[in-house]
Amino acid sequence: MTDLLSSPRPLGDGTIAHRPDWTWLPPGAAPTDADLTRAARQAEQLLAGHGVTYGAEAVDGDRHWRLDPLPVVVDEPEWARLEAALVQRAELLDAVLHDLYGPRRLLDDRILPPSTVLAHPGFLRAVDGLRLPGGRELVLTATDLVRDASGGWCVVADRTQAPSGAGYAMEDRRVTAQVLAPVYRQASIARLGPFFHALRKALREVAPPTAGDEPRAVLLSPGPASETAFDQAYLASMLGLPLVEGSDLVVRAGRLYLQGIDGLEPVDVVLRRVDGEWCDPLDLRAGSRLGVPGLVHAVRQGTVSVVNPLGTSVLENPALLGYLPRLARAVLDQDLTLPSAPTWWCGEERALRHVLARLDRLVVKPVVHGPSTTTVLGWRLTTAEREQLAARITAEPWRWVGQELVGPDVEPADAGPRAAVMRAFAVAHAGSYTVMSGGLARVADDHVVSSSAVGALAKDVWVLASQPTAPVGALREDADAGVGRAGAYGISPRAAENLYWMGRYAERAEDGVRVLRAVADRWDDYHRTPDSAGGQALAVLLEALTPAALPDGGEPVSVHPDTEHIGPRVPALRDLLLDQRTPGSVARAVRRLAAAAATVRDQLSTDTFGPLARIERTLRDERARVRVRQQAGDVLDVGPVPPGSVTAGLRPTLDRVLESLLAISGIAAEGLTRDVGWHLLDAGRRLERAQRLVAVLRAALVEHRPADVEELLLESVLLASESAITYRRRHQSRTDVARVLDLLVHDRTNPRSLAFTLDRLHADLESVPAPRSAAQRDHLLQGVAELVAELDTVVVGNEVSDDGRRVRLADALESILWRLREASDEIERVHFVRPTPSRALDDLWGSTYGEPSEGGAL
Amino acid sequence: MSGRAYDLVHRTTYEYAQPVTDSYGRTTLTPRDLPDQRLLATSLTIDPEPADTGRHVDWFGNTTTYFGVTRPHTRLVVTARSTLEVSRAAPARADLPDTGWRAVARGVTGADLGVLHTDAAGVVALREAVLPSAHVTFVDEVRDWAAPSFADERPLADVVTDLLHRIRTELTYRSGSTTVSTTQAQLLAQGAGVCQDFAHLMIAALRVHGVPARYASGYIETRPRPGRPKLRGADASHAWVSVWLPGHGWLEADPTNDQLVDDRYVVLGWGRDYHDVPPLRGVIFTEGGGATPRVEVDLVPAGSEPFA
Repeated sequence: MTDLLSSPRPLGDGTIAHRPDWTWLPPGAAPTDADLTRAARQAEQLLAGHGVTYGAEAVDGDRHWRLDPLPVVVDEPEWARLEAALVQRAELLDAVLHDLYGPRRLLDDRILPPSTVLAHPGFLRAVDGLRLPGGRELVLTATDLVRDASGGWCVVADRTQAPSGAGYAMEDRRVTAQVLAPVYRQASIARLGPFFHALRKALREVAPPTAGDEPRAVLLSPGPASETAFDQAYLASMLGLPLVEGSDLVVRAGRLYLQGIDGLEPVDVVLRRVDGEWCDPLDLRAGSRLGVPGLVHAVRQGTVSVVNPLGTSVLENPALLGYLPRLARAVLDQDLTLPSAPTWWCGEERALRHVLARLDRLVVKPVVHGPSTTTVLGWRLTTAEREQLAARITAEPWRWVGQELVGPDVEPADAGPRAAVMRAFAVAHAGSYTVMSGGLARVADDHVVSSSAVGALAKDVWVLASQPTAPVGALREDADAGVGRAGAYGISPRAAENLYWMGRYAERAEDGVRVLRAVADRWDDYHRTPDSAGGQALAVLLEALTPAALPDGGEPVSVHPDTEHIGPRVPALRDLLLDQRTPGSVARAVRRLAAAAATVRDQLSTDTFGPLARIERTLRDERARVRVRQQAGDVLDVGPVPPGSVTAGLRPTLDRVLESLLAISGIAAEGLTRDVGWHLLDAGRRLERAQRLVAVLRAALVEHRPADVEELLLESVLLASESAITYRRRHQSRTDVARVLDLLVHDRTNPRSLAFTLDRLHADLESVPAPRSAAQRDHLLQGVAELVAELDTVVVGNEVSDDGRRVRLADALESILWRLREASDEIERVHFVRPTPSRALDDLWGSTYGEPSEGGAL
Repeated sequence: MSGRAYDLVHRTTYEYAQPVTDSYGRTTLTPRDLPDQRLLATSLTIDPEPADTGRHVDWFGNTTTYFGVTRPHTRLVVTARSTLEVSRAAPARADLPDTGWRAVARGVTGADLGVLHTDAAGVVALREAVLPSAHVTFVDEVRDWAAPSFADERPLADVVTDLLHRIRTELTYRSGSTTVSTTQAQLLAQGAGVCQDFAHLMIAALRVHGVPARYASGYIETRPRPGRPKLRGADASHAWVSVWLPGHGWLEADPTNDQLVDDRYVVLGWGRDYHDVPPLRGVIFTEGGGATPRVEVDLVPAGSEPFA
C-alpha cells in the first residue's frame, strides 16, 4: 500500500519512500497486515452502523463512506510549520475578502486582475460593503493539500464557500481510533475536539449585537438529498445546532426567524452549508428554494450573521492561486509560505498562450464548475477534443485556468493509491485562526482525487504530539462559551413531521413483520390442507391481513397445472417483506423510515442508524439471494411459485429485521430525552399501532366462523399483536373472541391494547405545543376513547346477525377507525403546517415598454 | 442649468385570484440624481403597508428599496412618485471625440488610463462592462451580425450611431414578442423584440468587440399624435444603452428610437443588463398562482393635474 501524505521519509538516493512507516511507534507495536485487514473490515461495519454516507440517495446503491484505517501520520515539527502556513493563508484570504467587498484596492492588474473577481459568479454584488461583526470575513476555511515530488505540501484548492468534511474527519477519527485501538492508545495523537470547540466560540464571536447573551444559531442545510448530508447533520449535533432548511426560516421585520412548531423563534447566527448564491431568492439567485427571501436584507440590517458570509466563494476561484504570492506581499508584506500548484489564469494574454501551448500536459479547470464546464485532464483528450477545448478557452479566456499536476513520484511497482489529497480546516477565533490538528485525507487510484471522489477512500490524519494537547480542564472551563440552540424547542414543523412519520413507519414495519410471521406460520402448517379448519383459517388470514400479497381476482386458482390442485391462492408473502413497490410492504415502510430518519439525524442518537443499516442490508441480501435463485432456474419454468417455497428463507429474515426494529424502538424509549420531538415520534408510533390493531380486528373478527377455524384465527391475531403469551398465561381454556377483545382493546396493562395505546397518544399530544386549535383533534380522540370504553366485549363478541356477522363489533370498529384516520389528519393540520409555496413575482418584461416613436421624431 | 421639469408616477399592480400571505420585493424605482437630472422629490408607497422596508445604494450606484409585506393580501400596488428637472442635451456628433473603437478596446485590456480618460476605480467599472452578464452572452450570431458596424479604425461614436440605426431599421418592435429569457440569437432569428432586447443586442455587439457598455433603465416621455389628447398613465418604462466613449464619458444611446438620449428621458439606474435593474422583482408566498402585473407610467410636465 502506498502512503502518499505522511511526513516524507527520504531514502538515501534522494527519493522518498511512499510506504507506511511505523518506526515512530515503540518496537513491536506496529500493526501487521492481518491487523489492518481486520481493521478495514471492522471500519466498514462501524461506518455502515453509524449510517455514514456520501453522495445522493440511491436504492440498494453503494453510498457508504469508505475508510482506509491506515492513517496519514504527520510529525510534530512538520505540522507546526504547516499550521503556521495555513494560518497565514487564512489571514491573507480574509484580508483579500475584506478588500473585495470594500475598498477594492487590490483590483489592479499589477496585483489581482479585476476580471478574476468581476467574472466570477461567486462575487456577490448584492452583499458589497456588508461586514461580519468580530473583524473577520472568512470564518471557516478549508485547504486541499497534496505532496509534491520533493515531499513538500502544495495547495490545489481553497474551500471558502461552506467547507464540508469536518464532520467526516471527526467520524473517521472515531472509527480509526476504535479499529486501531492498540496502536492509537500507544501513540500521542493530537485531538480534533479543540477545533470544534473553537468553531462554537467563533459562531458566538460573530453574533450581531442584537443577539444578547446567548446567541441562537442554526445550521442551514440544503436538505437530506445533499451529497454531504451526513457531514452536515453530524456537525450540527456536535455543535448542538438545529439542522434547518431554507423553508424552515423566514424574515420578518428585518430579522431572521425559525418557524418553530409553536411560533417564530429568532435566529442570530446561521452556519450555512447552502452555497451563498442560493441563500436568498430575492436578492441572489431567483427561484432558489434552498434559501430565505429577505436574508440579505436581514444581514444588511445587522440582525443576523451568516457564516461564512455570503460571497466568500469568490475566493474559490482557482485563478487566485497564481496571484496569492503577490497578494501576500501587497496585503501582509510577507512572502507566502505555502505554495500552490502552478496555475495560470487565461484571462491574461501571456498565460493564455502558455496554457494553449501546453494543453496536453495541464489540468484545465473552469473558474467555476457548471453543468457543461468541469475539470479536464488535458493529456486524456484526443486531438479533436483538445482543439474544441482550445476554442472554448479562446472565446472566453477569463473562464479558465491551466494548472500543473502536482503529486508525489510513485514507483510504478508500488501498489495502492496514486493520488492523495488532505483537507485541512481552520476557523477564525480569538484574533487568529485555529487549525484542526488533523484533517480529512482522501486517496484514489486515479491521478487526481476529484471533489466528488467516486471510489475515493478516506483516511484519518494523525498529528503526532509530544504532549497531550489542551488539558481537558481548560476545555471544560469555557465549555459554555459557545452558542445556544435557536428557539425554545429548536425543532421546525418539518423536523416535527418527520419524527412523527418516523414513529409511524417504524411501527408499520414492525407490525408488518409480526403479521407476516403469523401468516407464514399458518401457511407452512395448512396450505396443503385447504379444507381443514387450519386451511380455512389460513384463507381468512391471507384475505384479512395480507391482501396485498394476493394476486388480483379473488378466485381460488390452481397452483399447479399438473395436479389441478385447488387451494388457497399462492401469496407473494416475500414481496410483502422485500419489495419496495408493493404497497404496505415492510421494505417500503423501512425505506420511508430511513428517509424520515435521515432528515432528522441531528435529533436522533447515532445508535439509531446501526440497526437501520442492518435492516436495509438484511433486506438487500435477501433480495439478492432470491434473485440468484430465480436466475438459477430454481423457480423458473414451473409457472407459479411452488407453494412450499412461498415462505422459504422468510422466517430468519423476518426475525433479523424484527430484532433491529426492536433495537430502534428500544433506543427511542431509553436513549432519547422526552422532548417535543420524542413525543411526536411516540405519538406517530401509537397512532399507527391503534389504526393497525383496529384494522386487523375488523378484518379478522367481524365475520363469524366455525369455532375451530375461529380459534386458529384468534391465535394468529394474538400473535400478530404480540399478545399471545399474555393470553395463554391468563386463560387456560380455548381462545374466545370476547376474551381476546378484552386483552386487545380494554386491558390497560397490555402495552399492545387499544386503551393503553390511546392513553399514551393522549399523553404525547398533551406534551406538544399546539399552534392552532386542537379542539377537533381532541374531540375525535375523545370519541375514540368513549367508543372503546363503551365496547362490551361479551356482547359484541357473541351477537351475530343472520348473515353471520358481528354487526355491533363491525360498527364500533368502523367508527373508531374513521375517527383515528380523521385524528391523524388533524394532527398534521395542527402541528405540521407546511410552508406556503413561494414563487417569483411575475416580471415586468415588455409590459408597457417604450414603443418607438412615430418615425423617430418625438 | 434650467431644464424640463417633470412629475413622474410609476404604478405596478398585481391582482391575485388567491390570497398571497407574504410578498418580499425589491425596487429600483428611485430616479438617479445626476448633474443633468436633478431629483427634487421622490417617494415610494406600497399597499398593503409593508412590515419592513430598507433603502440603500447598490453596487451600481442606484437607489434600491426592499420591502416585506407579511399580511395576507390579494392585491399589491407599488407606486413611485418623483419630481425631476432634466437638462440633458443629446451631444452633436461634432462634439464627440473620434477615438477608434479598437483603441478603446485595447485601452480596456491594457488598463490605459490615458486612452480611457478614467482612473483606477473607473477601470474596474469598464472591465465589468466588457464581460458577459446574465442576459448578455457572447455568441457567434451576435459577432456576425455586429461585424459590419465595426470597420477597422472606425470612431466609436460612429459605430454607436451605426448600431442604433441598424437596430431601428433591421429589427421590428413588437410588444409581447419576447420574454425575459429570450436570447440575442433568438432575437436576431425572429427579427422582432422590445426595447430591452434591442438594448441587450447592442450591448452584446459592443462587448464582444471589447467596448464597455451597460444597460440603462428609465423612462421616455411620449407625445400624442398631433390633435390627440395625451393619455395619462400611458407613458412608458424604457431601456437603452450606455457606452464608454473616452473623452466624453458614458454616452447614452437609444436603439429603439435610433437617437441619443436627451431631456425627454429619465434615468432610473444602470446595470450590466436588465437583471441588475428591473424596476421591481419579488418573491411571493401563495397556494395560488401568480398574476400578470398592470403597469402605469405617467411622465408629464411638472404641475399637471395629478395622475390618480
